[in-house]
Amino acid sequence: MKILFLDTSSFFATVAIIEDGKIKYLFQEEIKDDMASRMLPVIQEGFNQVSFTINDIDKIMVVNGPGSFTGVRIGVTIAKVLAWSLKKDIVTISSLEFMATTPHKEKYIIPMIDARRGYVYAGVYDTDLKNILPDQYIKYDDLKEYFTDGIKVSHDDNLDAEKPQTDIEKIVAMHLNDEAIPCHKVNPNYLKKTEAEENLKGKND
Amino acid sequence: MSKDVYILGIESSCDETSVAIVKNGSEDIATVVLSQMDTHANYGGVVPEIASRMHVENITMVIEECLTKANMTMDDITAIAVTYGPGLIGSLLVGVVAAETLAYVYNKPLVPVHHIAGHIYANNLTKKMEFPLIALVVSGGHTELVYMKDNYCFEKIGGTLDDAVGEAYDKVARIIKVPYPGGPLVDKMSYDGQDNYSLPTPLADGSYNFSFSGLKSAVINLVHNEEQRGHEINKADLACSFQQRVVDILAKKTMMALENYDVKNLIIAGGVAANSGIRTRLKELCEEKNYNLTIPEFRYCTDNATMIAAAGYFAYLKGRTSGLDLKAKANTVLE
Repeated sequence: MKILFLDTSSFFATVAIIEDGKIKYLFQEEIKDDMASRMLPVIQEGFNQVSFTINDIDKIMVVNGPGSFTGVRIGVTIAKVLAWSLKKDIVTISSLEFMATTPHKEKYIIPMIDARRGYVYAGVYDTDLKNILPDQYIKYDDLKEYFTDGIKVSHDDNLDAEKPQTDIEKIVAMHLNDEAIPCHKVNPNYLKKTEAEENLKGKND
Repeated sequence: MSKDVYILGIESSCDETSVAIVKNGSEDIATVVLSQMDTHANYGGVVPEIASRMHVENITMVIEECLTKANMTMDDITAIAVTYGPGLIGSLLVGVVAAETLAYVYNKPLVPVHHIAGHIYANNLTKKMEFPLIALVVSGGHTELVYMKDNYCFEKIGGTLDDAVGEAYDKVARIIKVPYPGGPLVDKMSYDGQDNYSLPTPLADGSYNFSFSGLKSAVINLVHNEEQRGHEINKADLACSFQQRVVDILAKKTMMALENYDVKNLIIAGGVAANSGIRTRLKELCEEKNYNLTIPEFRYCTDNATMIAAAGYFAYLKGRTSGLDLKAKANTVLE
């Protein structure tokens, strides 16, 4: 089983090519500018380094959010067009669950993404990556009950949290048998409506 | 005979997700345009974040539908052309990333196309463009006079110093409470009215530049003053007077350019090229002075990928291709 794994949901981008559960190529880097123009050259470089081509891929796994709206769209667009071209399906993965693969000894792990104004995108996971508190857009302060028995992880420097040490092989193994979705139906999971939609809804309520 | 060139074009710079296939820069083989206008109408204008979201949702469906319509596969395609700018950055990114991905998987040349070059080449779908020419580009984001000595040689000789003409139309529409998208409705209303309101002709100087913010302010002040006096505005008359001033200045400066540049062809490009006031006036003037005028068909005036594929053909012939690191640009000069 050959898998292309993509995560562009934060400035910390991941591109991995996996064969039979093992990483054959890995790109993990902070990309602060021009994420969109960097990704295809990275994927191309990846397939130059492994013994098979993009056409041999069985499945595409993409982190579809939450996170940077633009970042998420880049990864999801690549995944959708690749899947359409190669006639393969897509498995979507939560950015928070991916962060929760960080090894830890606490009861819980709380992956977080800064959503500004005191809010975060966060979820609470146990050591088996079970989503105890579902991923959501939530006030940072409302997560506090989990902090005593848990470890916070985030890529964002302004949140008081550890840096995630993501385990790609683990997340891929966990989702290997997930039902794959046809490309047209794959969408980002922003976990938040646009401000315009919120305002319009407010007006109509 | 040389081999036919089929360009697949992708356009996502604003609120239309569009994919098209054009043969040899002039023949529309298949065009699919998915407009988000109904959604944005709820907000009184295009909401960039919503536009970007809808582009991602629909991009693969639109690509597939276009190829199905053309009864072709990606193997039949020579190169992939995409709008890289100017436009809404989040929207542009979806088209650019999709084009990069297709270019990579199918190992096809990637051809970046400036959105305005696309609008100009929409004319080539109607009639073969003859050079040298002057292009009057009028849209929601642009008002420019462009001189082209030859294919894909753009020289901007004048442009708006503030609002684009389409922007002015939309603002006036809002002032007189015409629903979104107001521009086309103001055009329509103007025919039911008479030029009874006194409005200034904007930037009536010897340059090729335009300015529409003064005219827009004059409309705002006029409506405000009339309301203060308790007078009701005759919307059709105001639409008519506004349209007259806009058409006057666009026609004046375009005719000036035609007189000073030795050209074979005048072309009109951009969404506002659908405006009947502008079309009619320039048609009359060109007939009178014996200039060759080309105006794109209505369906190629608004944003579409057909024009991008048509322009992409000429860019491709000139070797203007890009690597897979093509960047989308919100603002970029036509060159």
